[in-house]
Amino acid sequence: MTATATARKARAEAPARRGRTNRSGRAGYLFVAPFMIVFAAMFLVPLIYAAYFSFFREQLVGGTVFVGFENYTRAFGDAELWTGIGRVGLFFLLQVPVMLVVALFLALALDTGMVRLSRFARLSIFVPYAVPGVIAALMWGYLYGPDFGPFAQLAEKIGASAPDFLGADLMLGSLANIVFWEFTGYNMVILFAALRAVPGELYEAAAVDGAGPWRTAWSIKIPALRGALMVCLIFSIIGSFQLFNEPNLLQGLAPTVIDRAYTPNLYAYNLAFVGQEYNYAAAVSFILGMVILVGSYVFMFLTNRRSRS
Amino acid sequence: MTAETMIERPRTGRARRTGRRSGRSTVLTVGMLAAAAYFLLPLFWLLVSSSKTSTDLFSTFGLWFSGDFALFDNIGRTVSHDGNVFLRWMGNTLLYAITAAGGGALLASLAGYGFAKYRFRGDRTMFMIVLGAVMVPTTALAIPTYLLFSQIGLADTPWAIILPSLINPFGLFLMTVYVQSAVPDSLLEAGRIDGAGEFRIFFQVTLRLLAPGFATVLLFTLVNTWNNYFLPLIMLNDPDLYPITVGLARWQGQAAAAGGASGDLIPLVVTGSLLSVVPLIIAFLFLQRYWQSGLMTGAVKQ
Amino acid sequence: MNPRLSRRAAAKGFAAAVAAPLALGACARDKTDHPTSVTQAQIDEAMRTPTEITFWTWVPGIEKEIALFEEAYPAIKVNLVNAGQGASHYSKLRTALRAVNGAPDVAQMEFQMIQSFAITEDLLDLRPYAMEGLEEKFVDFAWSQATGTGGEIWAIPQDTGPMGMLYRNDIFEAHGIEVPATWDDFAAAAEVLHGADPEVYLTNLAPSQGAFFAAMLWQAGADPFAGSDGADLRVDLESEAAVKVASYWGDLAERGLVSTDADFNDQWYQALNRGKYATWVAPAWAPTFLTTAAASTSGKWRVAPLPQWEADAPPVSSNWGGSTSVVLSTTEKEIPAAVFAQFINTDRECIETMAFEQSLYPPTRELLEDPEFTGDQLEFYGGQEVNALFAEISDTVSPDFQWAPFQDQVYADFTATVGTAFTERTDAVAALGAWRDRIVEYAEYQGFEVTGS
Repeated sequence: MTATATARKARAEAPARRGRTNRSGRAGYLFVAPFMIVFAAMFLVPLIYAAYFSFFREQLVGGTVFVGFENYTRAFGDAELWTGIGRVGLFFLLQVPVMLVVALFLALALDTGMVRLSRFARLSIFVPYAVPGVIAALMWGYLYGPDFGPFAQLAEKIGASAPDFLGADLMLGSLANIVFWEFTGYNMVILFAALRAVPGELYEAAAVDGAGPWRTAWSIKIPALRGALMVCLIFSIIGSFQLFNEPNLLQGLAPTVIDRAYTPNLYAYNLAFVGQEYNYAAAVSFILGMVILVGSYVFMFLTNRRSRS
Repeated sequence: MTAETMIERPRTGRARRTGRRSGRSTVLTVGMLAAAAYFLLPLFWLLVSSSKTSTDLFSTFGLWFSGDFALFDNIGRTVSHDGNVFLRWMGNTLLYAITAAGGGALLASLAGYGFAKYRFRGDRTMFMIVLGAVMVPTTALAIPTYLLFSQIGLADTPWAIILPSLINPFGLFLMTVYVQSAVPDSLLEAGRIDGAGEFRIFFQVTLRLLAPGFATVLLFTLVNTWNNYFLPLIMLNDPDLYPITVGLARWQGQAAAAGGASGDLIPLVVTGSLLSVVPLIIAFLFLQRYWQSGLMTGAVKQ
Repeated sequence: MNPRLSRRAAAKGFAAAVAAPLALGACARDKTDHPTSVTQAQIDEAMRTPTEITFWTWVPGIEKEIALFEEAYPAIKVNLVNAGQGASHYSKLRTALRAVNGAPDVAQMEFQMIQSFAITEDLLDLRPYAMEGLEEKFVDFAWSQATGTGGEIWAIPQDTGPMGMLYRNDIFEAHGIEVPATWDDFAAAAEVLHGADPEVYLTNLAPSQGAFFAAMLWQAGADPFAGSDGADLRVDLESEAAVKVASYWGDLAERGLVSTDADFNDQWYQALNRGKYATWVAPAWAPTFLTTAAASTSGKWRVAPLPQWEADAPPVSSNWGGSTSVVLSTTEKEIPAAVFAQFINTDRECIETMAFEQSLYPPTRELLEDPEFTGDQLEFYGGQEVNALFAEISDTVSPDFQWAPFQDQVYADFTATVGTAFTERTDAVAALGAWRDRIVEYAEYQGFEVTGS
């Protein structure tokens, strides 16, 4: 086979690598250029402009002045912002582990090939991801309804009273359920796709060793999913800390529970669109970005260390 | 694992998968079906609600059919309301989503391949900037963005939706990881030795290997763009350019409008929501089949 | 290469880069100069010159009024844009006003938002554009809401929402409840009704409906922002009237005699249809709204005047909602824009179409006195002449009520303070103070000079 020969040749040619790198370096730039150009124009430039924006203060009366880091110092002392950040941090700890464990379990179950109607099940679980957040909140808002929602009505029929899903105590859980509903299938699909990329030899080796399905899952599949799980996790961190759509939509049902600063992103939005404090809103967005960045970094650092030890 | 084993036994993965299908587990099946029921419940509500007149919608139990079965009547009214504007919104959504998904998947594949297989100055920095940029929520930054877009004449045009949607940092991440695992260096070396240019190698050899990853990114970008609400809400003023999400929200706003004859719009919002989800489900079914046949990467090293 | 030159060039480039966004903001803020007086000849000339103007509105079916205008002025073409409703309409408007272009010439605007756009100098004073005699056409309160403290004409009223009370006749009869004429009667009825049927509340007090609470303050004679002018803001929420309103509703909420559900959502529609609320204290646009939102309850509703604080004094009402047409100061087509805003809201055929086809409650005396309008009998309300009743109420709305120059923030802060006190059944009067504090803090941050009561 030429490929085999090629591979050997490649190893033999290792000293020549440097030359290849230079030649292909240019090609590398060309490959990433289209993405990076659109990215720079559509994301980076507005982001830089917004960052610039955050150093000013524009008042309803009195015009615009350069204020340096004033918006940032204000944000550091803003209790509403930090309460919101604490809340989404709690949301992350509450929701993401459950979602990923369930997604992992579902992916593993599907991968065993031991599930009947597996295509139907997979589609059903993934379908919520295809439902726009606006519609998802509409549907769950109805189901949660304290008077006429089906849970409330069923509870009433048996003489009990359903918990107040939209009350202050349960709201975070109710939001977590919506996000769980929307994204478990999505994570499951990523993990499932990654499982399908696990080389068959590993399973054969395991079968030779007499490993059952549970042990195969534990000692072969899950380690092989480390990369995919990391991807899911990092994006879940971002998703949790930027939580906006679901609380924004449920606000119509529980306006006093979900206040303007319920999540930091909602806060930034309300600052900009209700209070017309565009500059401060930009500063809040960047601080939230920093928090997420640091959070993700710390998280990656911790998992890397643990897996090494 | 070495390249030899991979090349010599390209079909092992497939063999083990088919061979494993013998045992079925009732416990797992029941568990999966229970999960499916949970995930379908709200959609069942949507279907039931779409079949009701507005009178029944607010006066009967939500999780079962009752009253007149008005589904087809509702569909007819949804589609024909306001001069078939629903179809126009649907068409816009299709245009935005398909353009963004196709372009986005291609950009992500090219860039993912570039980041995974080439070393060049600033590669890590660029990659990190892309991921770092995702960390900053853009919701509150819509106004600066709008001002810039309006400056260059993009605001209130389809480009204001399509161009930003081409960038899917998650897609880039996925493709980079995917290329690393799915495309063996040896294959590229072989191509180079045969004298093929870098781009010829990519388009003639690699792209085929990337098909499942490409399909995944395509699907995710498609769904993201399809469901995008905030960006078009900010960028578009002309209702003829609205995607379906913004259009439905507009109807909902009208339905709750204080003042004036808003008309009987609430059933249209519900039915429209149902109709807007259907094409995505079809797309997913289609792409799901694609994955199953495209799983030659099952044999590739992790 | 001369390093100094390049450094200077770089400095220049940097300065330009730094200045650019400011310039961007500045040029958006730099409103076109508008004439202070316009002759009839200039108006005639402008109305004969082919021009296109853009009009942002959410009113369904307004194409008809536009067609009437274009028939009267064939040279002018009106581009209709529905850019959204309520909050999304205003945020888009604000964004477009900041951008280089994209803002409309004429826009729909609710009464409470006029001051908020006037403070940022986004509205065109219509006085120079032949508005003589307009004042007499409109009911007093509508006109006073549309004008500024310096006599500026900021807007032309289009529809209003004088407050009344919609009630379920069947529920009242079943429990032998008289239609309450005063708020004391209302509170007593709330207790009787909820005692007789714990599933039913006399009314719902929506915790995020700042507009309703404002209407209550207005009726009681509390005018929290009265005397504010430009950068001087006066906030008075400690007045006897304001405290009376807050403690009255706070007490009903605290005793659980009224429900505190959020309104205009699915749950609330359900509740209206299933008879959870026996009244809806609501304005003149509510009757039409209810006919579609609570279609299953047709024939069971009646309309009564708003309950009063004083049994013997002449009745006083207030306003919730309604809207106007404004001309934006960014326009370069001020004459056609101003004529258009005036035409659609005063032309006989236009106002008839609005009242009869779009069911907008009219602010024009002409229609409010027209038997064809007032004599309309609505089946949904058991054949009652609902328009006639609201026409009477319309006359009793006090013209003295001033809106804050950042009313959306005021409403948001209401929900966070007084509204939350309603749902949590805590001290609403204390919350009134918290509301005030938030308003003051915000106002000072935005550069206002705040004075108390």
